[in-house]
Amino acid sequence: MAMSDIPRNGFMIVLTIIIAMLLMMVPLPESARFFRPEWVVLTLMYWAMALPHRVSIGVGWLSGLIMDVMMGGTLGVMAFSYAFAVYLIARFHLQLRQYPLWQQALTIFSVVLLVHFVSVMAGRPEMSWVVWMPVVTSTLMWPVIYPVLRKIRRTFQVS
Amino acid sequence: MLLAVLASLAVFFLDSRLDYFKPVRSILSTVVYPLQATASMPSNFVDWVGDFFQDREQLREQVTVLNASNKLQSLRLQKMQALERENMRLRELLGSSFRLQERVQVAELLTVDLDPFSQQVIIDKGENYGVYVGQPVLDAHGVMGQVTETSYLSSRVVLLTDPSHSIPVQINRNGLRAVVTGRGLGETLKMDFLPHNADVRAGDQLVTSGLGGRFPVGYPVGKVVSVEFPQGKAFADIKVAPAANLSTSRELMLVLPGEKIRTEPTVDKPGASEATATINPDASEAAATLSDSSGENNAGEVADGNE
Repeated sequence: MAMSDIPRNGFMIVLTIIIAMLLMMVPLPESARFFRPEWVVLTLMYWAMALPHRVSIGVGWLSGLIMDVMMGGTLGVMAFSYAFAVYLIARFHLQLRQYPLWQQALTIFSVVLLVHFVSVMAGRPEMSWVVWMPVVTSTLMWPVIYPVLRKIRRTFQVS
Repeated sequence: MLLAVLASLAVFFLDSRLDYFKPVRSILSTVVYPLQATASMPSNFVDWVGDFFQDREQLREQVTVLNASNKLQSLRLQKMQALERENMRLRELLGSSFRLQERVQVAELLTVDLDPFSQQVIIDKGENYGVYVGQPVLDAHGVMGQVTETSYLSSRVVLLTDPSHSIPVQINRNGLRAVVTGRGLGETLKMDFLPHNADVRAGDQLVTSGLGGRFPVGYPVGKVVSVEFPQGKAFADIKVAPAANLSTSRELMLVLPGEKIRTEPTVDKPGASEATATINPDASEAAATLSDSSGENNAGEVADGNE
């Protein structure tokens, strides 16, 4: 147990979050733009579940702030929603770890829905069903992103 | 968690209410610029590969086409410059205000996807090139939008199609003034607050009117696509297609400051004739500097000879 107290390979966490941010900005074809999963939230949620003592609310808040600046929205909106997502996951991380993947995905669905709800409320004049597509694609991506990040965590023994 | 909520609220408030928070934001934008530049790398790379493997025939063809269009353009420019001179002289006679030719600076788009629901793009020139908030942005076909936010290395441009953006325009055909507002999501623009009896037809060209002093006069904004008069509504429902290639242009032009439109009415002042007298030398000087700036072009000399 003493091992897990020493932070190791923390840069891997930062690297995955940065890659997720790049994925949020890489240009997609016009038709696929609305289906982009919330990569950063997914990554943050994985780390919050696996290593809640490393990826805290502060990390979530900071990444949200960076996203705010990059996307050009009002500062603080994504910062708040990301911090909130990390809080929820970290709060229930022990239960979540026991769940099978599909049940995790359901939890992820509700959390991403909340996150997305905040940013939608923060100001979009026109509302259509397309607004909610990232929630669905994010949930579908969870069974992919979970094993990938777990592999990364185990290979580099991030703790 | 409480701390995060408080911090979010604080930042939220500071950002939306206070003006002096802008520098902080600008610094943050500068910090994230490398990330944005990295995100635009894959598509730039694809473009580069495409350029690299273009075959000789294609390039030749392209050069021929470009040469032809260049000749055509410079021919038009010759005539343009003569007309501009004439226009300026006439305006001097009238004692009315005149405008100088705007100079532009080319900027390139960063291929980065932002929030698909707001119509904004990022360009690769920032405060280091003197870009300022409110600077008009054009492309080869017309007005694209204006700068909303600057950082040291990049700036953010809001496009005409953004719902929060309006631009004062004038109909080329009859000089009717109006305001054109965006509707977001790649839709057509709309022309607001024109009564049912306004003289607008489908196919009318709209240019900037220069009112408001932000956009220079006379740049194409768009073309009226359809005009409808819905029953029971006070205003006509007019749709406008933007002239600029908002979704495909990669090179944008920033209109440089200093060449702003002068709008001093010299008519209804007492001693208006004196005012025009003092303006005249200015005007000829301005004309002289104008021909200097285009001196490397033959057309400029031709126009000089005419005078």
